[in-house]
Amino acid sequence: MTHETAQPGLWARAQRTSVEQLHIRLESFIVLIVLSAVMAVLSPFFLSLSNFLNILLATSTIGVLAIAATYVIGSGGLDLSLGSVMGLSGVAGAYVAVNLGAPSPVGLATCILAGAAAGYVNGQLITRAFVPAFIVTLGMLGLARGLALVISDGRVIYGLPAVMVYVGQGRPLGIPMPVIIFVVTAIVAHCVLAYSKFGRHTMALGDSESAARAAGIRVERHRRILYTLSGALAGLAGMLFMARINSGDPTAGLNYELTAITAAIIGGTNLFGGRGSILGTMIGALIMGVLQNGLNLLAVQSYYQQMAIGAVLILAVFIDQYQVRRESRV
Amino acid sequence: MQPFVAKINRFTLALGVAMAFAAPAIAEDGEYGVLMKTLANPFWGAMSQGVEDGAKEAGVKYFLQAAESDQAAEPQLNLCNTMLERKPVAMITAAINSTNLLPCLKAAQDAGIKVVDLDGNLDQAVLDKEGIKITFRIGSDNVAAGAQGADYLVEKLGKDAKGPVLVIEGLSGNVTGQRRAQGFAARLKEQAPGLEVVASLPGDWDRGKAASITNDILTRNPDLVGIFAANDGMALGAVEAVYAAGKGDQVTIIGVDGNSDAVKSIKDGRLNASVAQLPYLVGKQAVENVKKAIAGESVTADIAVPTLVLTKDVLDAGKEPMLQYVK
Repeated sequence: MTHETAQPGLWARAQRTSVEQLHIRLESFIVLIVLSAVMAVLSPFFLSLSNFLNILLATSTIGVLAIAATYVIGSGGLDLSLGSVMGLSGVAGAYVAVNLGAPSPVGLATCILAGAAAGYVNGQLITRAFVPAFIVTLGMLGLARGLALVISDGRVIYGLPAVMVYVGQGRPLGIPMPVIIFVVTAIVAHCVLAYSKFGRHTMALGDSESAARAAGIRVERHRRILYTLSGALAGLAGMLFMARINSGDPTAGLNYELTAITAAIIGGTNLFGGRGSILGTMIGALIMGVLQNGLNLLAVQSYYQQMAIGAVLILAVFIDQYQVRRESRV
Repeated sequence: MQPFVAKINRFTLALGVAMAFAAPAIAEDGEYGVLMKTLANPFWGAMSQGVEDGAKEAGVKYFLQAAESDQAAEPQLNLCNTMLERKPVAMITAAINSTNLLPCLKAAQDAGIKVVDLDGNLDQAVLDKEGIKITFRIGSDNVAAGAQGADYLVEKLGKDAKGPVLVIEGLSGNVTGQRRAQGFAARLKEQAPGLEVVASLPGDWDRGKAASITNDILTRNPDLVGIFAANDGMALGAVEAVYAAGKGDQVTIIGVDGNSDAVKSIKDGRLNASVAQLPYLVGKQAVENVKKAIAGESVTADIAVPTLVLTKDVLDAGKEPMLQYVK
């Protein structure tokens, strides 16, 4: 992976960072609990196992994208192509399985590979052509969505083989498959970010690129891996939604990149890199999920939901900043 | 940390108080769930008004929700699943596309909830494969709407009329536009063989593109006598091109939808006719028929809500009873 010539200073900082990552942002967790309690009081339908699984199912695609956003933003980067790549990968998988008649595992793998390929292209352009990440991934947002529409001719590709459908609609032990895949992905992603060298290097990159470079981290290579990983996760999200509705939809994931970034930021990821935890991001995603689900149960128009989520985002960062300023005054 | 937590609690308290103002939803027996694509469009607005009035008259309780845009396929599916938690007796759904709501409709069916296809967005072949039985489908018959446009043209020009006609289709691959264009062309051939469709081109629902197509065809066929556009926006684009070419009196132009811009243009004597859809009536009749189905009466599997040809005469006379349903 890397040379073992890390400066002690950075090493200490990397360790400190990982300790900070373990620390769940208590306030966001409190908000989640209180929000859930409020919803439970307001709606008799909120507190039930089936509704809890509903929330997790509705959060699964956004949650996977938010994991990708946490890694990339934590490293000081940005990936605006998440939603489009999610749409592209679902269409690619459905096309391979339905139009080319490939077996299910190939179709599922195609989703993740298509996503990884788009992410790889992003990474190459950012690190080798020196185009800013914002521009490259904004371009990819258009490229991937356009390609999804071209492949599918603007229509949904329906009728996946049974195994693929099971990935989206199966319920082993009554738990929807997308929820299982999402939770397992989140746990793995959390452990990697919090406990592995790869995770520490990712945050070190966002903290100070020059320090990371001085410490012997191969910055460009690491970034390329991160963007490829981000694309692969978007591919996984695309796979989950495709399997859920038994078809590749070229409009899937529209504007999801912003929702994923919102979840990561609410969860405590620093927009300029250097700080972020998957656990926090999951709490952020669940705050949005609970808010949406609860307001849906209360039959509140979706317009208000968007307002509520926007307000929560600004509030979360405000609280964050307030704390930072208070600590620095001490 | 301590004062900070206190602050948080104050905030959440405020949030809680704010939310408490939202009237708590209590489970109602026999509620209908109505799920729309979006309300950010007068067509769906008129339809939800119809649902409201229909429910009031029928004395049924319902709750209506919509996704944030007509592209939000997954959010609509999540919304649909959430609506099932309220255990409605029926789900009246206008799906964003033919597949995005399938898991939810299946779950509804398994729970014994009646499923209705509002506006005909579901594909029967797909439903059969998925094993989903819908109670009925209700919407405007787009083939019939196209045919009505042809009838109007033949009525205006006569059965023996001769001359070239242009058809401006919708977006390539869009079923609604295809049906309207096909309905028009088939009926025209049958009624007035002398009126020949010389071109049938996709205008992508775009006013500017429709105007360009009209210009091109006028260059090729200066004696053009009729234009049928698959929606009003494109028809109005064609109107501008025809009048700019000084052929306003020579070409009869027909659109579909009956939207407010078209009504204005017809009243001004520019657009000749628009085949109006009546989304208000679609919503109203959907609720009425669900009530029937739940009461165990038989309901037609495919309910076509009539469309109405709007012309200057019809609008000026204002006698047509269906006019009240034009948005």
